[in-house]
Amino acid sequence: MATKNLLYTNPKLCQHLADYKLRQGLSGYKSLQNCLKTTPNGRTSIYKWDTEIPRCCFCNGYQGRLFLCLICSSISCSSHALLHAQSEDGHDVVVDIERSELYCCLCSDQVYDPDFDKVVVSKNMMDMPNNTYTVDDGIRRSSKRRKVNSLMDLDFRKSKRLVSMRDRREKSCYPLGLRGLNNLGSTCFMNSVLQALLHAPPFRNYFLSGRHDRETCKKRSADRLCLACNIDVIFSAVYSGDRTPYSPAQVLYSWWQHSAKLNLASYEQQDAHEFFISVLDGIHEREGNGRTPTKDNGDCQCIAHRVFSGLLRSDVTCMACGSTSTTYDPCLDISLNMDTSNFSSIDVANKSVTPKENSGICTLSACLDLFSRPEKLGSDQKLYCQNCQEKQDSFKQMSISRLPLVLSLHIKRFEHSVVRRMARKIDWHLQFPFSLDMTSYLSSSIVRNRLGNRIFTFENNEADTSAEFEIFAVITHSGMLESGHYVTYLRLRNQWYKCDDAWITEVDEATVRASQCYMIFYAQKMLYYKANDGLSCMPLSPMRDPFFPIAGCC
Amino acid sequence: MRNSVNRPPTPDAAEDLGKEPMFQEIINIKLIESGEKERLMELLRERLIECGWKDEMKALCRAFIKKKGRNDVTVDDLVRVITPKGRASIPDYIKAELLQRIRAYLVQAAV
Repeated sequence: MATKNLLYTNPKLCQHLADYKLRQGLSGYKSLQNCLKTTPNGRTSIYKWDTEIPRCCFCNGYQGRLFLCLICSSISCSSHALLHAQSEDGHDVVVDIERSELYCCLCSDQVYDPDFDKVVVSKNMMDMPNNTYTVDDGIRRSSKRRKVNSLMDLDFRKSKRLVSMRDRREKSCYPLGLRGLNNLGSTCFMNSVLQALLHAPPFRNYFLSGRHDRETCKKRSADRLCLACNIDVIFSAVYSGDRTPYSPAQVLYSWWQHSAKLNLASYEQQDAHEFFISVLDGIHEREGNGRTPTKDNGDCQCIAHRVFSGLLRSDVTCMACGSTSTTYDPCLDISLNMDTSNFSSIDVANKSVTPKENSGICTLSACLDLFSRPEKLGSDQKLYCQNCQEKQDSFKQMSISRLPLVLSLHIKRFEHSVVRRMARKIDWHLQFPFSLDMTSYLSSSIVRNRLGNRIFTFENNEADTSAEFEIFAVITHSGMLESGHYVTYLRLRNQWYKCDDAWITEVDEATVRASQCYMIFYAQKMLYYKANDGLSCMPLSPMRDPFFPIAGCC
Repeated sequence: MRNSVNRPPTPDAAEDLGKEPMFQEIINIKLIESGEKERLMELLRERLIECGWKDEMKALCRAFIKKKGRNDVTVDDLVRVITPKGRASIPDYIKAELLQRIRAYLVQAAV
């Protein structure tokens, strides 16, 4: 009988362990602590035999897992542990010698006790300063693999020291999948985007269920890991349960290689939005190529497009005769201009634009309205009308033909003017909702509004995808244009967390609402609730499977 | 009743005590005492992670747990299930490297 394991709580003690604790208390654990020793690699094992190696008292075997009885200190191997418990009454709980982990012979399973872990971890911490610490799975590499440049090696050493201060087996009440990302040198743009990607429900489920096979990927490309492989590595690391900050060096390097062709790679701070698009592009390049090389992006089946790609519709109407030409363009995100109608003046002298008189608040819905408002094309942009057979004044209207599973909204805060040779950041606060209904921005709504209530057939069956979204991540930018800092806020199970590089903290809603959002990520309501246990307003059906589609049960 | 509870009868420990320690045992003891075994184990762990073996085993475990149901699986079950596949799927170059290192160690330890 394995102990029932809820996702975010410590497993309950098995009956035998509970009985043992009632009888013995913590004295057994404490005396064990004197026999513990930590190897240079960070493993804490039991070392109490100076003259000979530990052997099973039944078969004299010395191989495999050996267990030390907490009551009588006799040693049994995995084949005979049960025998020991059966032959001595009450000797059910033993400790794995090599791993310092509790095992119950009668349950034939590992058991967990926070008090025991405390004892082991404190010994581990005490021994740490004497050992040269090797960082965990995430960055352990052989020398031939270490191709990153010396600049990043320096940061590795810094992050090693930071990691050694932390408790590796911290029992935290934070949900699975929350892990800080070390800043490798102005890489907060990357960290912030990664945190959002790590929690985009369908994207996360894809990688956590192992759908990107690193093995076959490696074989196809002569042993080099593609960008998606490196993302997969990050998923494994972040959802592993280890809370120590992780250094996403491989993704950075892999992205450098990908973006070198686009001349994006450099040591400077990059734009988070550009990085976001670039990463999705890199994943598409690898995944898409294998399967659908000729299809356009709208129907591409790679995970990047399946999750993030939507379809925009652009209607250009001739003002003379009223005929409209429609084009469709796939998009990975929607870039929104901030609505300036509420603000009276713009301070050009300074590098930032601040509202002089706040006659209204800039809201996300205002920006979306602006996005889908009919826009008169300038006289220098007259389009050729097929009906009139000449160039005419026209107006253009954007709408969303198909919503993606994850809607990424990019707020255009950075204005670059090539003509005036200057760039500035718009610091206005943008009010954004946590629940978003995109119905009024769908092509069906927009077109109907323009032409009145008529029955139109729309090519893409919009009834299939819901238009209701829930927010799950916000990337904020603070500071000046050149020297700013990106931070991501994540909403997991109705609690907001601030992910500031390596530091994760709980924050309240008000903080998030007051932040200066740069990119906002919404997931379709059903997907968001499925991923987050549906605690709030969605009714739980009695037949609901408690085993959610996230594979991290370790 | 599950398999882990029913075990085959164990050989009598008294019989074995009389035998001379096997060559393998002597080597193992020497490796442990000098701390070399710990180093080799670390190296092995690193190699198995690099080549993706660990991830394969993890996937096998996940598949097994998914099939059996989360609350019906013990660590023993998992070990029993993945051990044959695990042993069989270790790449040859890793075996070769470890053998080489053990040989090298024995040579310098025998002196």
